[in-house]
Amino acid sequence: MPAVQETIDQVRQIDVDQYKYGFETVIESDTAPKGLTEDTIRLISAKKNEPDWMLEWRLDAFQRWLQMEEPSWARVDYPKIDFQDIHYYSAPKSTVGPKSLDEVDPELLRVYEKLGIPLREQEILAGVQTSKIAVDAVFDSVSVVTTFKKELAQAGVIFMSISEAMREHPDLVRKYLGTVVPVTDNYYATLNAAVFTDGSFVYVPKGVRCPMELSTYFRINEKNTGQFERTLIIAEEGAYVSYLEGCTAPQRDENQLHAAVVELIAMDDAEIKYSTVQNWYPGDKDGKGGIYNFVTKRGDCRGDRSKISWTQVETGSAITWKYPSCILRGDDSRGEFYSIAVSNGYQQIDSGTKMIHLGKNTSSRIISKGISAGHSSNTYRGQVSAHRKATNARNFTQCDSLLIGNDCGAHTVPYIEAKNSTAQFEHEATTSKISEDQLFYCLARGIPEEEAIALIVNGFVKEVIQELPMEFAVEAQKLIGISLEGSVG
Amino acid sequence: MNMQTKPPRTAAEQALLDSYAEMVGQLPGDARVTVARDRLLSAIAEKGLPTKRIESWHYTDLRAVLRAVPVKAGGSARAAEPLVRDALVCPVVQGQALMPRVPEGVELSPFMELLVSGEAAPLLSSRGADDLVGELNGAFVSDGYRLAIEAGRELDEILELQSVQAGGQAHTRFLAEIGAGAKATVVERHLGETSNAGLSSSVSTLDLGEGAEVTWILVQGAGEADQHLGQTIARLAAGATLKLFVINAGGKLVRREVHVDVAGEGAHFDLRCVNLLAGDSHTDVTMTLGHMVPETTSSEIVRNVVLDRARGVFQGQIRVAQVAQKTDAKMSCNTLLLSDEGEFAAKPELEIFADDVVCGHGATVIDINADHLFYLMARGVSEKTARALLVNGFVDELIDELEDEALVEPLRSLIEQWLVDHG
Repeated sequence: MPAVQETIDQVRQIDVDQYKYGFETVIESDTAPKGLTEDTIRLISAKKNEPDWMLEWRLDAFQRWLQMEEPSWARVDYPKIDFQDIHYYSAPKSTVGPKSLDEVDPELLRVYEKLGIPLREQEILAGVQTSKIAVDAVFDSVSVVTTFKKELAQAGVIFMSISEAMREHPDLVRKYLGTVVPVTDNYYATLNAAVFTDGSFVYVPKGVRCPMELSTYFRINEKNTGQFERTLIIAEEGAYVSYLEGCTAPQRDENQLHAAVVELIAMDDAEIKYSTVQNWYPGDKDGKGGIYNFVTKRGDCRGDRSKISWTQVETGSAITWKYPSCILRGDDSRGEFYSIAVSNGYQQIDSGTKMIHLGKNTSSRIISKGISAGHSSNTYRGQVSAHRKATNARNFTQCDSLLIGNDCGAHTVPYIEAKNSTAQFEHEATTSKISEDQLFYCLARGIPEEEAIALIVNGFVKEVIQELPMEFAVEAQKLIGISLEGSVG
Repeated sequence: MNMQTKPPRTAAEQALLDSYAEMVGQLPGDARVTVARDRLLSAIAEKGLPTKRIESWHYTDLRAVLRAVPVKAGGSARAAEPLVRDALVCPVVQGQALMPRVPEGVELSPFMELLVSGEAAPLLSSRGADDLVGELNGAFVSDGYRLAIEAGRELDEILELQSVQAGGQAHTRFLAEIGAGAKATVVERHLGETSNAGLSSSVSTLDLGEGAEVTWILVQGAGEADQHLGQTIARLAAGATLKLFVINAGGKLVRREVHVDVAGEGAHFDLRCVNLLAGDSHTDVTMTLGHMVPETTSSEIVRNVVLDRARGVFQGQIRVAQVAQKTDAKMSCNTLLLSDEGEFAAKPELEIFADDVVCGHGATVIDINADHLFYLMARGVSEKTARALLVNGFVDELIDELEDEALVEPLRSLIEQWLVDHG
């Protein structure tokens, strides 16, 4: 059945007025001049008191980046980015790093409050929240505060901003940085390697199960700023860590650039669970403004029996270009990808995953749910490949798309490559609208249409939502509601 | 941003340009045709052969794999017996059409006539930047047939358009116009007689009038050293039905493109494709299917058997236009990968702009099911026979759908013969 007119109208009405994180905060900040040259990189490196090898690494990346071309294969369309019209460094002004929350700019704390970030440990400890989450908050380009450090240190877990880690644990950073996403991996990853300003660093030692969820909140605030953060998570043998990432940005007319790199490394028997709720500003109803989100996320199941699981809820950004991937190198390793991508307005999403089976008896599972509304375009692009020696590789992929309204597009582009006779790949994809039968079933039982659609959409994404940690699951469901308000209630 | 410098021409690229220079004097056509040919060739010269950086050639890096082939045949080719007994063979031998008699209601003329008169000039065009097959064929085409079946005619006789080659180059084109309400079964066969390395290109354009029903069986049985680049372009008017059945069982390098526009309401398209891949061959089946209007349906099933060091590719793209409400499209691609040195890559794409549609695709890659094998072997069937039975069953399902016994039998024996030869 065609979408009920009412629903279509309501979806159309959805404006970014709904974007409740679209506030701007006036905070004194220390911003590098616009433009990208070797000097910009030297400045970033100097600001962060980085070791020399790091500066070398950045400069090398920059030289390579100059030789590269912007990729054009994704199904996204945007005016050419002027990389010289961006601030590559912006930090909330402070002379010395804050020792405690009291020293943090109160304006900044109010921002986090608005975001609902459980920064204040005392509140958490006072039992306002039932579970503990350690938070690393990144504001524009730098990590502002990391909570629960002491408690984590007792367990042997290192959780700090990556610039801090570079100073305190240079050997660890040097050993692992760029080993999953090489410097020259792709255009945006190379740019990130040259100019990344901060991000989180997590190291979970052998046999340790990280005692709490770790979380990072990213927020772009300053005008014309690019945010280039870099996250590195290492789980040693038998370790376990669950990591959450949330993103917001204020409403602005100009497009802002976000090009992050996330590297995960899981050794023997280790497990990393990485969850993202991405809610960058998607632009207004005419497609003006919004974040360009060009992210490279990759996990390396380096050890035998290791496991990496990506869960993402994508509701924001004007453009999303993101493929969290798993390299299944260790024997019996496992990769998972669960995704909900909601697009509305003029949003463009080209997202998916790669499962590269290299080791023996590796398995992977992909569940992707795309919901398109308004004038948006929503593409799933995924690759599953089994190499010669990857005997008994197994993959199951399911990508379902739901279309709401008649001006949007839903696309599926899977690449399935088998080079081994023992590989067993199954892929299925469907595209449909909300089933008339399901809707009728609900309506016949006196459930109003809006609620019925909400119920059906919730059912559609349930398989992914249930993979999210509790706190995020609630937030994600709310976000999907906001993103599709009018059609899903 | 630095511009990428153009890579030097490969031997095959240079050889193609040279062979055009060598052949152009003898290629049929009036001035308009020559202009069209020149334009297509310059397009190839300008772009070079497609590489894997061109999305639609992602798994077939033609620049790396195409080999130079001399223009002249290495042996002498002769028309073969028809695939289906009593079918009327319309042969094209080494790029030259030999006119047979035709039944009532059918018009048949050599494509060369259209080239000579210049009528063919508008047909010698490119579908887009990635249309190497169309460009190559347009530049080099020497002959083929134009086939027209009058409106309302139900043909009892099966027609076989047969292109035979013994090495060298052959570039043919078939133009089929099926009148409204006509019914016909056509076999299109590409054969390579010897193991002389040959290069052939062929473009078949099928235009189905309202309510026309066509079963088109395309058998590619090129020689094991042959390179074949083929294209089937079909357009379906309202209520028309096209059942396209493709068997690939030969060739060293094969690219088979199928481009279909389901352009009239109530039209239906079926693709059934069996790829039997062995040796060091590389076979690529690439389909683009457009549902352009409301209320149309399509179904595609591709079954692949991969042995030895063979590499197979299936790319299938279904596009549903914004106005094409009520589209029902299903695509599946199943592969039996029987060798550790073989490869198969599948890229089933959906591109959907209408909301009231049911579209889906599935893709699997598996080995023979151990339980099934055990079941048969426990009943005293040798492993070899059991495997052959299971492989046969895997592809036979598609043959079965043809229903017409006259077609089922020869196709079944073609597949069985291939399995015996390569088992």
